[in-house]
Amino acid sequence: MKAFNYSPEHLTSNRQLFWIAAVLGVIMMAPVAWIIGLSLKDNAELLRGTEAVFSFPYTLLNYANILESSSVFGWFMNSMIVAVGQTVGVLLLSSLAGYAFARLEFPFRKTLFIIVLFGLAVPEQAVIIARHQMFNWFDLHNTHIGLILPNLSSAFGVFLMTQFFRAIPKEIDEAAMLDNASTFRIFWKVLLPLTLPAQATLGIFTFLQAWNDYWWPLISATKSDMYTLTIGIASSQTNFAQSEGLGFLGAQAVFASLPVVIVYIFFQRHIVTAVSGGAVK
Amino acid sequence: MAESYRRSRWTNGLFVVPYLSVFLTLLVFPLGWGIWLSLNKVDLFGGERFIGLKNYARVLSDPIFGQAVKNTLIFVGVSVPTLVILGLFLALALNKTSKGSSFLRGLFFASSILSVTIVTLIWRIVFIPNDGLMSLIFEFFGWQPIGFLSTTGWSLFSVGVATVWWCIGLPMMLFLAALQQIPKDLYEAAALDNASRWRVLTRITLPSIKSTIMLVAIIQVVMQFQLFGQAQLMTNGGPAGSSRPIVMYIYEVGFLRWDIGLGAAASQILFLIILCAAMLQYWVSTRKEEVDA
Amino acid sequence: MKKLLLGTTAIGLLALSPLANANTTIELQRFFGACEAEYGKATDVSAAVGECGIITTLVNKFAAENPDINVKVSTVEWPGYDQLNAQLASRSAPDVVSMHYSAMSDYQSRGLLVPLDKLLKDQSIKATDFTDAAITSVTKEGKIYALPFDNWTMLFHVNNNLMKKAGLMKADGNPILPTNRDELFSQGKQFKDATGKPYLVQVLANETATYARIFYTLMMQQNSKFFDDPSHIDLSGQDAKAALTFMKDIVDQGLSTKNLDYPAAVSAFSNGDGGIAVNGTWLIGSYDAQSKESNNALSNGYSVFPVPQFFKQKDVTYTDGHGWVVPRGDRSDEKMAAIGKLFKFFYDNNYEWSRTGHLPTVKKVIASNEFKSLPHRSDIAKIAKTGQALPSAVLRQFAIQDIIGEELSSAISGNKSIDDALKTAQYRVNDLLENI
Repeated sequence: MKAFNYSPEHLTSNRQLFWIAAVLGVIMMAPVAWIIGLSLKDNAELLRGTEAVFSFPYTLLNYANILESSSVFGWFMNSMIVAVGQTVGVLLLSSLAGYAFARLEFPFRKTLFIIVLFGLAVPEQAVIIARHQMFNWFDLHNTHIGLILPNLSSAFGVFLMTQFFRAIPKEIDEAAMLDNASTFRIFWKVLLPLTLPAQATLGIFTFLQAWNDYWWPLISATKSDMYTLTIGIASSQTNFAQSEGLGFLGAQAVFASLPVVIVYIFFQRHIVTAVSGGAVK
Repeated sequence: MAESYRRSRWTNGLFVVPYLSVFLTLLVFPLGWGIWLSLNKVDLFGGERFIGLKNYARVLSDPIFGQAVKNTLIFVGVSVPTLVILGLFLALALNKTSKGSSFLRGLFFASSILSVTIVTLIWRIVFIPNDGLMSLIFEFFGWQPIGFLSTTGWSLFSVGVATVWWCIGLPMMLFLAALQQIPKDLYEAAALDNASRWRVLTRITLPSIKSTIMLVAIIQVVMQFQLFGQAQLMTNGGPAGSSRPIVMYIYEVGFLRWDIGLGAAASQILFLIILCAAMLQYWVSTRKEEVDA
Repeated sequence: MKKLLLGTTAIGLLALSPLANANTTIELQRFFGACEAEYGKATDVSAAVGECGIITTLVNKFAAENPDINVKVSTVEWPGYDQLNAQLASRSAPDVVSMHYSAMSDYQSRGLLVPLDKLLKDQSIKATDFTDAAITSVTKEGKIYALPFDNWTMLFHVNNNLMKKAGLMKADGNPILPTNRDELFSQGKQFKDATGKPYLVQVLANETATYARIFYTLMMQQNSKFFDDPSHIDLSGQDAKAALTFMKDIVDQGLSTKNLDYPAAVSAFSNGDGGIAVNGTWLIGSYDAQSKESNNALSNGYSVFPVPQFFKQKDVTYTDGHGWVVPRGDRSDEKMAAIGKLFKFFYDNNYEWSRTGHLPTVKKVIASNEFKSLPHRSDIAKIAKTGQALPSAVLRQFAIQDIIGEELSSAISGNKSIDDALKTAQYRVNDLLENI
C-alpha cells in the first residue's frame, strides 16, 4: 500500500493537472510573445512576411519612434488621473456610506439601503445614453471630472463596504464611544483602518475597471488630448489607411501596457490577496 | 453615551449623503431619463416628441436587433461556461504553495489588467490573414487557412477566444479563494476513507464552493452580456452582423444613426434581459439547494 | 532674493507672452490614417507618398510656414462620424474636419456646419475655381459648406506582370480588361488557370463600403432609379437582383479573394496575390511608387483603369469625394482667419494631394502640365465625366452604405438568398429613412 499524503492540497491538485496548466500558460503567453517579437522587427521586413519574427536582426526602432512622436504619454496620464480619481472617489463614498448603513441608525436607513441594492442591478448600458445627454447640458464631456464621475455611482462598493463594516465586532466602536469620540472620529480613526483589506479589494477592482473602461470614454473623451489609453490605442488602429506597420502597433501595445504590468509584477502578491480576499466575504 | 451613538439621528444620515447624491444624479435620474427618451422620437441633436412605445416596437421588429440578441446569447452561453470550467480547472491545478503554481497564477491573472484595446490589438495581430500568428501556424502544418475574423461563425468564436483570454483571471482567483476556505478536516476524513480523487472533487470540493460557482457565473453573465469593445475593435460586428452584440447595436443606433430614442429603448430591453438572466440563475441555484436538502 | 525671483518670473513671462498672444490653434480632425512614425516631422511634401504621408507633410509644412498658427491634428478611425457625432452633441467639435461629400447633407441639414462663402472669399478663392462636380457636391441651399479636396471612385488596379503570365496583355502594353460580364468570367477563369491566383482582389471582410460602392456603380450602369425618391430606396427590381447576382457569381466562381479586410487586401495586391485590385483612387500613388522599385510583385507592371461598364445601359461609375468642413461652434475672427489660411494652403496644394491618385478639384490643377504628366492619369481621365454620386438629398448615406454592404455580404457569402438580402436591405434602409 502506498503511503498516503494527508494534506488537503494533495487531494485537490496533482502533478498532471499542474503540467496541463503550465501548457495552458504557454499557450496563454504565445500571443504576447508574438506581439513582443513583432515589436522588435523592422516594419519593412515584416511587410515581406511576418515569419521574419523568428530570425535576426531585431531592432528597437519601433520603440524609439513611439518615444519620439507618440501621444501615448498623454493618454497614459489621462488614464492614470481617471483611474486614481475614480478609485479614491469610490473608496471615500463607499466607506462613508457603508459605515453608516452598517453601524449607525438614521431615518429611512433600511429603505435607502434597499434602493441602493437595486442599483446593483442596473448595467451601464441602461443609463449611458441619458448620461451622455446630461453631461452635454453641463459641458462635462472632455474633462477628467466627466470621465471620473459616472462610475462613482456604482452600488457595488457601497454593498461591499457595508458587508465589511458589519463584520467588525461591535465592542470596538463601543470602546471608542466611552472615550467620548465623535461619530466621525470613530469612523475615521478606529474603524476605517480595520477595513484596509476590503479597501484594497475594492480599490483594485475599481482601478482595473476604470483603467479598462471603453464605452464611456469613447463617447465622452472625444478630443485627442483627453483620450485615455484605451481610446488612444483604439484610435491608432485605424483601418482605412496604410497602417503604420505591425511592428509599430506591437510596440505601441507593449509600451502602453508596460506601466501596469510593472506595477502588477511588484504588487502581484497584494493584488492576488486583495482580489481573492473580496471573494471570501 | 453608548446609547446616544446607537440612537437614530438624522445627522448620522450625513454619511450617506455624498454617495446618495451621486447615486441619484448619475444612476437613478439617468435611468428615468433613459426610459423617458425611449418613449420619444429624439435624435442626438434634440427634437423630442412623445411617441409612446413605438421605439420598442421598432427595436423588437428589427431583424438586426434579433440577430444581435441571438449573437449575444450564443456568446454568453459559450463564454460563461468556458470561463467557469476553465477557471475552476486552473484553480484546482494551481491550488498549491509551490513557486511554479504561484508564477502561473500570476500569469493567468495578468491579462486581466490589460485594457480592451490592447487585448484586441494583440488578438487581431494573431488572427489577421496572411501575417497573423494563426495563419503562420496553419501554414506550417499545411492546413487550409481560416478567415478567423471574417468568416461567419468564426468571427464570434474569435471574439470569444480573446474574451476568455482576457477574463480568465478573475474566475480563477475567486475559485482559489473559495478552495482555501474549505475546512481541512473534510479532506482528512476523505483521505482516511481512501476516497478517489474524483470522488473528493465531486463530493467535497465542488459542493463546498457551490456558492462561489454561482457567484462567478452571475458576475460573468452580467459582464459578458455587456460585450462591446472586443467585437467592435476586432470584427466591427461582421461579417454580415454575425458578431454584432446588443451593446454594439445600441451604440450604432445612437451614434451612427443619431437615433438615441431607439438606442435608449434597446438599452432598456438589454437591461431587462440581463436582469432576467441573473435572476433565473439565482432562482435555479436556490431551487437546486432546496431539492438537495 | 524676492526681487531676483520676481525678475526671473518677469523675464519668463516676457519670453512666453509673444507666443501666447500670437498663437492661434486650429484643431484638425481627419481620417486618412496615422503615420507619425514615418512622416511625423517631414515637411517635404513632394517626397511623401500616399494619403497619410501627403496630408501629414502638408499640415507640417503649413505649420512651419505659419509659426503663428498651431495646427493640432487628431486622426480618427475611418470614417470617424460616430466620434464627430458625439463631439457635436457635446459642443466640442474640432475646428476643421475631413468629411465625405456624401455625409455632408446630414450635418448641413441640421445646421451643424458653418457656411464657408465668406472665409473662401477672404482668401480670394472663387466657386468657379473648382470643377463643377466638386463645387456642386459641397454647395447646399446656395451656400458652400466645405472646401472640396478631391473626387474619387473605385478603380481596377491591375498587376500587369500577372496579366502577362495569363496571356491577358495587349501588344501596346496595356492589359486586356473585360468589357462585359461574360468577358469578366472568361478572362477571370483564364487568369486563374494560368496563375493559380484569384483574378480580383476585393475587400470583402469586415467592410461594407466597398460592397456598397461597387453595387451603386452596377445599379447606376443599369440606369436604375433606386433612389428616385431620396427618402425611399427601391431594391425590389430586376436591376438590383442582376447587380447582386453578378457580384455573387464572381465570388462563387472563385475569381475573387474572400477573407481579406481592407489592409490585408491592400497588401495582398502589392504582394502579387491577385490580378486586379478593386479599390479606390487613393492607392494609385502608393502602387505606382511601388512599381518603380525593383524586385517586387508590381515592378514595372502596374496600371489602373476605371471599373468597366458591365451593363450596357450607361457608362457610369459611383463617385464621392473628400472635403474639409468647419463644424458649428464659437470661433474668434482670428481663428476663422487662420482656418481660411489653412484652406487656402490646401487649395494651393491641391496638386500635391492629387498625387495620391484622387482627382483634383481645382480646375487650374487639372489643366496643369504637372498633373497631366502624372502617371496613369490619362487612363482614368474619363471618370471625371462618368462619375455620379447618389442624390445629395439622400440622408445618412454612411449608415445606408453599412446596411447595404452588410446585406450584400450576407448574400455573397451564402448566408441569405439574394432576394432575402435585398428585401432586408430595403426594409432596413427605409426604416432608417422614415424615422429621421
